[in-house]
Amino acid sequence: MNKKLISIIISVAILSLLPFLVTGFWVRLLTNIFMFAILASALNIISGFTGYAAFGNMVFFGVGAYTVAVLMNKYHFSFISSFIAAGFISILLALILGFLLLRLKGHYFALGTLGAAEAIKYIIDNLTELTGGAQGITIPSMKGGPFLINISFYFIMFALLVIIVIFTWWLSKSRLGYTFKAIRANEEAASVMGINTTIYKIVAWSLAGLFTGLAGAIYAYWFSYIDPPTVFDVMWVVRMFVIILIGGAGTVFGPVIGAFLLEGLSELVWSNFLNLHLGILGILIIITILIIPNGLASLTTEGKGLKGLLESIRKNRVNAL
Amino acid sequence: MLPQAIINGILLGAVYGTIGIGFSLVWGVMNIINLAHGSFIMIGAYLSYTIYTVYGIDPFLSIPIVMVLLFLIGYAIQRYLMNLVVRGSVFITLTFTFGLQILIANICLLIWKADYRSINLSYSGASIPIGGVVIPVVRLGIFAVAILLTFLFYIFMKRTKIGLAINATAQNYEGARVVGVDVKNIYSITMGVSAALAGVSGSLIAPIMSINPFIGGPLIGKAFVICVLGGLGSTVGALAGGLVLALVETIGTSFIPSSFQNLLGFVVLVLVLIFMPRGLFGKRLYNE
Amino acid sequence: MKDEIILYGEKVTKTFGALRAVWEVDFSVRRNEIFGIIGPNGAGKTTLLSMINGTLHVTRGSIHYKGINITNWKPHRIAELGISRTFQIVKPFPGMTLLENVSIGALFGKDKIVNIRKAQERARYVLSRLNLTEKEQAPVETLNVSERKRLELARAMAMDPDLILLDEVMAGSSPADLEKIMELIVELNREGKTILLIEHVMKAIMSISHRIMVLHHGEKIAEDKPENISKNDKVISAYLGSKYVKRSQQNA
Repeated sequence: MNKKLISIIISVAILSLLPFLVTGFWVRLLTNIFMFAILASALNIISGFTGYAAFGNMVFFGVGAYTVAVLMNKYHFSFISSFIAAGFISILLALILGFLLLRLKGHYFALGTLGAAEAIKYIIDNLTELTGGAQGITIPSMKGGPFLINISFYFIMFALLVIIVIFTWWLSKSRLGYTFKAIRANEEAASVMGINTTIYKIVAWSLAGLFTGLAGAIYAYWFSYIDPPTVFDVMWVVRMFVIILIGGAGTVFGPVIGAFLLEGLSELVWSNFLNLHLGILGILIIITILIIPNGLASLTTEGKGLKGLLESIRKNRVNAL
Repeated sequence: MLPQAIINGILLGAVYGTIGIGFSLVWGVMNIINLAHGSFIMIGAYLSYTIYTVYGIDPFLSIPIVMVLLFLIGYAIQRYLMNLVVRGSVFITLTFTFGLQILIANICLLIWKADYRSINLSYSGASIPIGGVVIPVVRLGIFAVAILLTFLFYIFMKRTKIGLAINATAQNYEGARVVGVDVKNIYSITMGVSAALAGVSGSLIAPIMSINPFIGGPLIGKAFVICVLGGLGSTVGALAGGLVLALVETIGTSFIPSSFQNLLGFVVLVLVLIFMPRGLFGKRLYNE
Repeated sequence: MKDEIILYGEKVTKTFGALRAVWEVDFSVRRNEIFGIIGPNGAGKTTLLSMINGTLHVTRGSIHYKGINITNWKPHRIAELGISRTFQIVKPFPGMTLLENVSIGALFGKDKIVNIRKAQERARYVLSRLNLTEKEQAPVETLNVSERKRLELARAMAMDPDLILLDEVMAGSSPADLEKIMELIVELNREGKTILLIEHVMKAIMSISHRIMVLHHGEKIAEDKPENISKNDKVISAYLGSKYVKRSQQNA
């Protein structure tokens, strides 16, 4: 544990100093990576830990972004109060959707959440008076030069990331975390052992929704312009799932590792092979599932170097038919 | 307006039915939601288009070719790829088929580029007026082929040895294995049949919709709604689901502003999921 | 006090369409007794158990525990009352170790322990009673049949229940394991717990139960002391052999 703690502290230190040493491009890239790490970690709470594949999770991102957009643009709220409001609205939405959809299982839940997300996207698209509809909406940007803005958003996202990682770490060791894991492992048995699965599933989803919504809120302020197709795009969730897949579902650092890998790779591919971008993502997904379905975090060398690593891979693979 | 909308809905409903049957087959037998099903439909459409523009063969006539090609593609994908992960969780299989879907979409993008394609037949404009409504010949042809296919599929599942083996595997995978069914092969055949059906659906919609590499997504959305409405494991159910969805769409276009149509679709979907999870005709094939 | 009725059911019925799984069964279980339920396969025993612990809804009738009407309560609420159960087809938590599996029972059972360390202590204690201590950190997937059955029992015990519902916990056990499980059940009973068990292993259930209820085709055909049950004509005609009567008379 000590080795791990030291490497974490070193990473945090490096990441804190980095923005002062590199160009704006890298600062923005890292900020983007942090955002995906947050989104993946949030999804991890309801999907990785609790086992409910919420395919429509970007609904919280969009709602959070629009809360900030509407409050700041139309009602001249400050960012801080809009940010807090985005949090509350996300939780409220999670409660409502959770009540409707968490009784569904497996595939039905996954696609039901997608349906609900699309429905909300269309509602926002059509409340043109309030949200600007398909034209999108602008958000007054932060005061200051490019350097100050880049640095500020870098640290705002970084702070939220640190918070969610600490929270996930606490969760993995807490009674609440046990509840989620039990629900994922065998919901019926969990119920028979005294766990009120309905309430806990809603709690899990509210937590996931909260962090996702807050990330969306920051995004809106950062980009200064949002529209429904962008913030409700299902590709966001797909990337979140792939990140969790690569990093390891139900782990603390899996989503973070996955985010660095996927978004880093994306940036590389995007800039050089634009028209192969989907295909490469597809191949990556297929290979990851075939070789390390439980993510990188599930691999250990078991003290035996390469041989141990291959052992570990073999143990983790899906049972072939 | 309404009678025309109803006729349009019925004509379209049959094709939607074939989309539903293919999708429901894999879902009911292997408990996999095959997000790549939309890509199979797309490949079918592109193949029809290419065969028509390069060789001049009418899309209705090239259907057998499309079916065979897609069967082989589906069989191979299942045998050498999907069978490796079919026992994984929902998360795993869903993400895997998604990866497959975007890979196929990218391949189609490279081959056929992103432009919208369409098939314009010499008889595209012809139609039969009956009473107050107009029945386009092409749509009538599509309807007839779709119904024929549905009927053939029904016979296949109920009367052939392979069909029965597929049914047995769906009901009880371990039990089927114990009595000597080669499950790997049956699964591969199932996917092959499903892909073939998807391919034909693609051939059938090619003359009436424009094709591009990204139609897979919305088509899966439709397939899912059709199956949820009609229930899994039932040919009649898929047809019924297809009809209902098509009617909702065609009648909806006439009376509801387009922006609310999709919303209506999703509201219906969520309501059905909550109150009638087994759909109109479904049987419980897998733990829900 | 010993004869006080702690659990009873009135005309408990479960139908699946036209199928009568359980039909108008009246039963009562006394505090601190070992109450056995036997019957041929398909008699409705597990269905009855599932209705008691809330896993299945009752079609008609009512179930009462300690004076409270618990009919159709959700399983977790029933667990909170101090009732726990094992499943015939075991339901361990995959991907977790034995210790974690059993700790969940301690964390969410009747006492709702909040401190994880305390829960683990109780889990360890329970595991030791079932001879599973060495396997504490083993993932459940690596267990054999006998170990899985014991794990199932351990999870139920970790909840510190007043009433335990056991569904064929002895099935597939070797004679040595059988002796140990029987001893454990008798011990738990001596500690004050009421036990309701379904079993096919006649020797075991007849010798440790205070009273036995026999179900056949979903209906109760007898409810009496073990030695009377085996003499009961209806039961004999259902499936029992009189060989077991002498043995239970010896053990009594």
